Amino acid sequence: MSIHRFHIPLSLVVDPDTRNLSDSQLARALMTGAAWAHAETWNRFAPRVFGMAARILGSESEAEDVVQEVFYRVFAKAKSLRDPDSLHSFIVSFAIRIIRWELRRKRARSWLSFHLDIESRDLLRRFYAFLSRQAPRERLVLSLRHLESMTVEEIAETMELSVSTVKRSLVYARAKLSHWIETDLELVGLLDGKRGFNDA
Amino acid sequence: MESAGSMTPDLDERTNPPALATLTALVHQSMQPATPEQLRRGWATVAARLSGRKARRRALVGWSTVGAAAAALVVLGVLSFSRTRMRPTPPAALAYQIRGGSVVDGGYLRESGNGAVKLVFAEGTEFVLMPGARGRLRTVDSTGARIAIEQGSASFQVTPRSDAKWLVDVGPFLVTVKGTVFTVSWDAAKERFELKLQHGQVAVTGPLAGGAIPLRAGQRLVVNLSKEEILITEQKPGEAWLGAAPDEPAEPVAVPRSDARVDDRPVTADAGQGASGRALVTAAGKGNGRRAWSEELASGEWDRILADADRIGVKRTLAEASSEDLFVLADAARYRRRTGLARAALLAERRRFPESARALDAVFMLGRLEELKEHGIDRAITWYEAYLAQAPSGTYASEALGRRMMATSKIDGAAQAKPFAEEYLRRFPSGTYAGAARALLGSR
Repeated sequence: MSIHRFHIPLSLVVDPDTRNLSDSQLARALMTGAAWAHAETWNRFAPRVFGMAARILGSESEAEDVVQEVFYRVFAKAKSLRDPDSLHSFIVSFAIRIIRWELRRKRARSWLSFHLDIESRDLLRRFYAFLSRQAPRERLVLSLRHLESMTVEEIAETMELSVSTVKRSLVYARAKLSHWIETDLELVGLLDGKRGFNDA
Repeated sequence: MESAGSMTPDLDERTNPPALATLTALVHQSMQPATPEQLRRGWATVAARLSGRKARRRALVGWSTVGAAAAALVVLGVLSFSRTRMRPTPPAALAYQIRGGSVVDGGYLRESGNGAVKLVFAEGTEFVLMPGARGRLRTVDSTGARIAIEQGSASFQVTPRSDAKWLVDVGPFLVTVKGTVFTVSWDAAKERFELKLQHGQVAVTGPLAGGAIPLRAGQRLVVNLSKEEILITEQKPGEAWLGAAPDEPAEPVAVPRSDARVDDRPVTADAGQGASGRALVTAAGKGNGRRAWSEELASGEWDRILADADRIGVKRTLAEASSEDLFVLADAARYRRRTGLARAALLAERRRFPESARALDAVFMLGRLEELKEHGIDRAITWYEAYLAQAPSGTYASEALGRRMMATSKIDGAAQAKPFAEEYLRRFPSGTYAGAARALLGSR
């Protein structure tokens, strides 16, 4: 029988001083491959990427997978970051690329959440079912604009599209959304009920 | 991501803003922020992958120039060969059968009883998730699968193949497998990883110094993160494992028989999206390429589900469909206002799976269905009362009490509903019906 022992360096605990660093200072450390910068980048940005992925995909478990993939790639490609002031955009662009890839896989997602009442859950189930029938680009543009409150310009930059293309996609996606809302009478009822109820 | 956009007005106002605003608000309400556990787990996986990447890069640097050049030539040859041909369609993912459970949202494996959940893949590989363990099927393709064990133990018997690619995430560790037999466990509370390898070879990467740890047959690896300790022991022939975990099952774990009716059916792979309970539909003639009802529900294909049920026969569907499919059928029927079918599916759920959590949920749903009828409100109240009596703190307790309050107000007047409003506010002060309860009490 043989026994080997090693020591394990794994920690999310980051020196308090590094938490006060600006994003650009953090980016510079990341570009040099500093190990602490990985943990700090994760602490700082992973929750935001998780929220974005969860809202767009409609699935928290898939969002977990997306976050892991995003940061693995961000860390692997950190040296390609040209402008340290754009660390946030750099991470978001990776996130959007991976989310888009997920959407292209056309996977049907079982949207379930117990954080809401049954009418709300029914509404969201219908909403995500509608989104799942849209082309990945339109879905992503609509989600980034309305769920993430990104500007058209920000969407264009992170998706590597022209502003006019984003605007066209948005108009197209909204038109389909409008049509869907107007033609599904049950949905209209649910939405009216929800609005009326919230106003009560 | 953080700032509100500055859209041109004509672009923003072309479509139903109140509806979109309602939907957007619901999405934000429904999605919870990442929990510390989710973040810790995610970071551990990323760190493990980075550690493995560094080790691979070191190995690559060690290649001789000739070897690298030869490899490059091979790559170039393959690339030029592939460019001369049409892109092939991707090979079909491995089919698999689930015994003793089902795959639910997120690819998580759910036990249907108290035993283990077993996955049998078409090429012979078997995977058993032990009772009480939490695991999920992340992806399946033509070469293998990626499975995650988040807590507890699992065993694997992977059929050797030259192109096989099986990956097992065990807590923060990643086990890369070719063909082998091993058991693995992860205790998240104690941060303890253990792998016992009976046959074959595996490589383990994780939060370790030096990258991947190769293991050969007869070796056992224990990693204790809290003590920063790694132990590799070797088993002599006929020798029992040293230091076996005290909570290890003394007897082999019973796995449901392969002829189990429900859940023992071929499922074409696309794990992680709620494929489940399809014995009836598969047996009734659907090809393996068809999606599970839960997936069709998620895609808004309610009519397909209803058409399936009609084609198979409603009576037979109600008698043979799995618990999950019955619930999915009830939802689809409810969305299409086939309240009779929805009601029958929920009653079948209660009759056939009386001990399940869904049977309890069905009580509440039956109340909601009664409310849709013209004179069904009295019966709805009866169902809500039954739900609250059976599950005073259940998933739908807040809604059942809220609906009961609203229904009482509707048929007997606000004064009669006030006691329910008071109870609601006492129990669920920030619940969905809190505003309505305050309005009833005149305190808004």
